[in-house]
Amino acid sequence: MAYAFDFSSVLEYREALVDGTLKTLGLTAIGAVFGLAIGILGAVSRAWKLAPFDRIFAVYVELIRNTPFLVQLFFIFFGLPSLGVQINEWQAAILAMVINLGAYSTEIIRAGIEATPKGQIEAAQSLAMTRAQLFRHVVLPPALLKVWPSLCSQVVIVMLGSSVCSQIAAEELTFAANFIQSRNFRAFETYFVVTGMYFLLALAVRQVMIQAGQRLIARRAK
Amino acid sequence: MNDISTWDIARNLLDGALWTIGLSLTAFILGGLAGLVVLFARIAKSPLPRRLAQGYIEIFQGTPLLMQLFIIFFGGSLIGLEISPWIAAALGLTLFTSAYLGEIWRGCVEAVSKGQWEASASLAMTHVEQMRHVILPQALRIAIAPTVGFSVQVVKGTAVTSIIGFVELTKTGSMLANATYQPFLVFGLVALGYFALCYPLSAYSRILERKIHGSRAH
Amino acid sequence: MALVHIDALHKHFGSNHVLKGIDLDIEEGQVIALIGRSGSGKSTLLRTINGLESFDDGCIEVDGERIHPHETDLRALRQKVGMVFQQFNLFPHLTAGQNVMLATRVVKKMPEQEAIDLAKAMLLKVGLQDKFDSYPDQLSGGQQQRVAIARALAMQPRVLLCDEITSALDPELVNEVLAVVKNLAAEGITLIMVTHEMRFAREVGDKLVFMYQGRIHEAGDPQELFANPQTPELASFIGSIN
Ligand SMILES: Nc1ncnc2c1ncn2[C@@H]1O[C@H](COP(=O)(O)OP(=O)(O)O)[C@@H](O)[C@H]1O
Ligand SMILES: [Mg+2]
Repeated sequence: MAYAFDFSSVLEYREALVDGTLKTLGLTAIGAVFGLAIGILGAVSRAWKLAPFDRIFAVYVELIRNTPFLVQLFFIFFGLPSLGVQINEWQAAILAMVINLGAYSTEIIRAGIEATPKGQIEAAQSLAMTRAQLFRHVVLPPALLKVWPSLCSQVVIVMLGSSVCSQIAAEELTFAANFIQSRNFRAFETYFVVTGMYFLLALAVRQVMIQAGQRLIARRAK
Repeated sequence: MNDISTWDIARNLLDGALWTIGLSLTAFILGGLAGLVVLFARIAKSPLPRRLAQGYIEIFQGTPLLMQLFIIFFGGSLIGLEISPWIAAALGLTLFTSAYLGEIWRGCVEAVSKGQWEASASLAMTHVEQMRHVILPQALRIAIAPTVGFSVQVVKGTAVTSIIGFVELTKTGSMLANATYQPFLVFGLVALGYFALCYPLSAYSRILERKIHGSRAH
Repeated sequence: MALVHIDALHKHFGSNHVLKGIDLDIEEGQVIALIGRSGSGKSTLLRTINGLESFDDGCIEVDGERIHPHETDLRALRQKVGMVFQQFNLFPHLTAGQNVMLATRVVKKMPEQEAIDLAKAMLLKVGLQDKFDSYPDQLSGGQQQRVAIARALAMQPRVLLCDEITSALDPELVNEVLAVVKNLAAEGITLIMVTHEMRFAREVGDKLVFMYQGRIHEAGDPQELFANPQTPELASFIGSIN
């Protein structure tokens, strides 16, 4: 029996696809901004051994990196309400994304900071810079520039991982796919198209981030 | 259903964890073997296998694991194969693993310095002889730490297979959370289970990494 | 008939014309000292002789083994031409002895005992008979370079190419390597050596070849050329070295 592929039945739902795409992108953007912010804080605490934060971040990083994102998401979405914390699916998804990316970027940025040549720090100290000035002007920009490609990859990984947020009924792109295939009964075609969309999104997000990084960081690191 | 004791929960979760371990081992071993094929295609001398392998890697690294599983699951039934969640999970994770390991190992082969290629070439070795006696032994040494490190991603990846109905640790947790109304406890234990599996692998990979950096090449 | 015969050799890297028609004949047992400024094409010339670089035009013949531009089967040529690199390039996962034995076992299919005996003899020749079981990172730079020489010699090449083999060494280790090369020269090995050690070039070389911008600008007896450079370029080069 030859199966007749029918992709038009997927495209009929393009509104749902566009909506899901935008939400996946929004989720990723929020996760990236706050995740990187946490990453910078965590990396500084770790690299400069700021007690007690260095310990706290160390534990946080290990906990997050050694458990699946899906379980973190379930823990937040199903677990927190039982402690009396009311949380909806988007809050849970965003929280999970931020926490997850925060842990990975802490490690990535820390590696960049620790690779700062000693001579540059000594040169800055000899110019009587304060520790904060030293960090802001001498350490952070080149460190971020150096690890920016890794951070871009991590953001893309987290975006692709956000696919499981459909499981708590956050209506992102995978949720849209699940919805569409329940209507058109064309599961394969639907998931095939949506997989292709994720592929293109991953390329686009990476490109945009690399461009943005070159604009924002490279200029300051020069 | 409040007659389910914490002990029952733990016992059920342990059962689920065994499936997680089984799936992880299966995917890691089969994915490692397939990853060798990807590696050799990726570093082949002729461009066709190189490009195919590169496309393969990009597809698996550029799309969600969940989508890969869905496509296998539903694609199988299209061609008339009744694919069980276990088969879909094992196949999906194997392919996923092979793409990542192939790429990691390629990096290790390329990390061997150009001088090693030139020195062995100047001794009249063939490409295969260079690989076998000079390049791969050195690449293998570099590869151990990141390979162990990647095994953590495989274990975590198995959680996604719960979504296509494979009953491993996460799926068991979801069912228990529904049955007991104790999601905080249950998912806490589930997370603990993954941590117990993953943390030793992460830590070991770090130790290996440090050993290689501060040590001899043999 | 010369042992190495190079005829109208041309080589480009993209639009960069690096070798602009090299003609060079090297007789059996001759020691050639190849000198010239950085970027003049010395390494490239050496690397074409054992096929590490392809070339665009002309021809190279070593001991009757003729190679043409873009030749891909270089095994026969490479068995006749040994090479020692500036960065040693020892195989770090193998002991000194294994480094020396590897190609004789794998390429020449020599029986194990014979290969071991040969490796020991080669290490003896470079004064490292007691380092057979040492790994490269347990040896000094000078020792590593001597192992690399032994490794090349074990293949019993007809000609040995040395590309600035003392440039990566600490000054106090240079002489032990040069002494080994001097001994080889005295034994009558055919040698092409890129070097910045002018005293060595003068004392050990049978022929001095000065390269300048991709051409052999001057060549001849080392003593005479050092005393009376015929071109201002060589004169200024000698001046800048000393
Ligand atoms: N692999 C390469 N790719 C491109 N250009 C090269 C390469 N190797 C050498 N060159 C160029 O060829 C010229 C000659 O280099 P080389 O033979 O290394 O000179 P030398 O050994 O005399 O210093 C230089 O201009 C150098 O930049
Ligand atoms: Mg050179």
